[in-house]
Amino acid sequence: MLEIQDLTKRYGAVVALDGATFTVRPGRLVGFLGPNGAGKTTTMRCIFHLAEPDSGTIAWKGAPIDRVTRLRFGYMPEQRGLYPRMKIADQLSYFAQQHGLSARAAGAATTRWLGSLGLGDRAGAKLETLSHGNQQRIQLGAALVHDPELLVLDEPFSGLDPLGAETMSAILRERAAAGVGVVFSSHQLDLVEDVCEDVVIINRGRIAAAGPIDELRAASTRRHLEIEVAGNGNAWIAGRPELQNVQTRGDLVRALVPVDVDLSAILAAARAGGEIRRFSFQPPTLSELFMEIVRP
Amino acid sequence: MSRRRAIWLVARRELIERGRSRAFLLSLLLTVALISLGVFLPSLIGRDRATLGIVGPPPAGLAQVLEARADASGLSLVVVDVPSIEEAEARLRDGKLDAALELPADGSAPEFVVKTTSNSPLYGVVQSTIFATPQLAARELVPADPNQGVAFAFANAGVVLLFISIFTFGTWLLTGVVEEKTSRVVEVVLSTVESRDLLIGKVLGIGILGIVQLTLMVAIGLGVGVGTGRFSLPPSTPNAVAMLLLWFVLGYAFYSTALGVLGALASRMEEASNAASPVSLLATAAYLFSLVVALQDPDGTPARIATFLPPVSPMVIPLRAALGAIEPWEIALAVALMLAAIWILFVIGGRVYSGAILQTGARMRLRDAWRLARGR
Repeated sequence: MLEIQDLTKRYGAVVALDGATFTVRPGRLVGFLGPNGAGKTTTMRCIFHLAEPDSGTIAWKGAPIDRVTRLRFGYMPEQRGLYPRMKIADQLSYFAQQHGLSARAAGAATTRWLGSLGLGDRAGAKLETLSHGNQQRIQLGAALVHDPELLVLDEPFSGLDPLGAETMSAILRERAAAGVGVVFSSHQLDLVEDVCEDVVIINRGRIAAAGPIDELRAASTRRHLEIEVAGNGNAWIAGRPELQNVQTRGDLVRALVPVDVDLSAILAAARAGGEIRRFSFQPPTLSELFMEIVRP
Repeated sequence: MSRRRAIWLVARRELIERGRSRAFLLSLLLTVALISLGVFLPSLIGRDRATLGIVGPPPAGLAQVLEARADASGLSLVVVDVPSIEEAEARLRDGKLDAALELPADGSAPEFVVKTTSNSPLYGVVQSTIFATPQLAARELVPADPNQGVAFAFANAGVVLLFISIFTFGTWLLTGVVEEKTSRVVEVVLSTVESRDLLIGKVLGIGILGIVQLTLMVAIGLGVGVGTGRFSLPPSTPNAVAMLLLWFVLGYAFYSTALGVLGALASRMEEASNAASPVSLLATAAYLFSLVVALQDPDGTPARIATFLPPVSPMVIPLRAALGAIEPWEIALAVALMLAAIWILFVIGGRVYSGAILQTGARMRLRDAWRLARGR
């Protein structure tokens, strides 16, 4: 388990991290969300000692992480980069060995991963001769080739087409199922809701929400209400102040209500207005939750 | 995994990737070709010229016969009459004559006089022309040091080789550092390797290539020289070659570290040479000093002082050693100073490198990189 405790980091007058605390458990797929500049990349860089936190601790299996611990982690930085003129098999083997694998084990792992990434026949190709999408696959391969126990990926879905995103999701799910702790940042919230079990939402250097997505949604104090009353427009909502942020389109009314709202009273008012064609009372989606949390 | 293995993996990657790159193989071929030509070519073009002074009454037609025979053995010979042996000796010392042939009026044995080393083809021509005596007596005005010319040539070639090697491989380190920074691969590498270890590994790997190339150049140069009979190896040769390799290692470690650190400050390849210019200038100044000042006066005060200045000593010391103009204690002290300088450079430079290598955006200043390293 990765435990991040009270991480702070300033760059001059800019506060990048302000007491960030969260955990990544083995076998869990964690979406790390936050607006630009919230501290996602800084946190990830701190895990790999690419940035030094001003205070706070990062522990793996209960012990502070050091260079040797980090060899069991895999990292895909936000700004992609590999050796352009190095053959891709040599490249993956090099990174595997830098993570502590013997030359032979690194060679075997490289062959296996090139196969699963669909590039088994390109082993001798230089990276720069590959298409952009295939270079992305090798970048993922470089993070995975040594079978890490923790996978940290900074925006792994950015720049991927829908097919590439599907492959990426499948690989991340498969790794988590194999017991690997996976944490990745993303701005594609629908995708995160689809792929992840847990999320951590960071805002201005602090963790604003963290936990299983379903629990966070259920814990919200607001619900999204949708009611469509045939031929009524939005006339029936008059005099119902508990409906907030009301949007109407034709007969469809969308509104935010408190979680403990008197639902039967609202239903009664709607039924009085005419025939109910649609009714839904839902916790906010991840995307809506995110907006509620980070909007000032 | 130990840090040592991480460093070795970095070095091995450099060694393999650079070693089989077209750039390295081409530069190797080119230098080998240039060295062979440099040693071999003078014997092909440029016929040797010589002036022979004759003292005393020459037999009729001797001059013509000498010139014809000389011509046949590839020597352009000019024969002049000299009034007295004293005059001839004076001209020999001035270098206006290559040799003098004294034909005593009393008919006694002629004598062949040269300043120092006998010009063997000329001696052969004269000897074979004058059958009067079975052995033409030869006399030297200055006791000959048969290795003087070769030592001078070695000293000269050594400085050139050192400068080229240190600079070529130092520049490789510079471009390698900038490449890793601009391609952003450095962030992946540094997630497992300490930044100082990455720098050490790169210096080591490229340095091994440099030693291979320098050894090859020296071996081929000496081999071609001896093989074609251009020169014979003086007894000091192993010593001179050892000095060359030792000071390549020290000079390369010094300059490549400096270049690598400055390279980390650049944000684009085009800025690299700009960022490196202070070090390039220093290296060039050291090179010119060695060729212009130290070569002419290897015992002089400027050369002695330069011996102990780390940026200059890698070129001055092998030169002075090749000319036999250095004391062992001077070499020992200079090595110690050089090692200290490399260590200091590495401590300071390693920190600047750590601070700068992960930064993107505009080119960094030294001071900012130093500060960043503290709170990275």
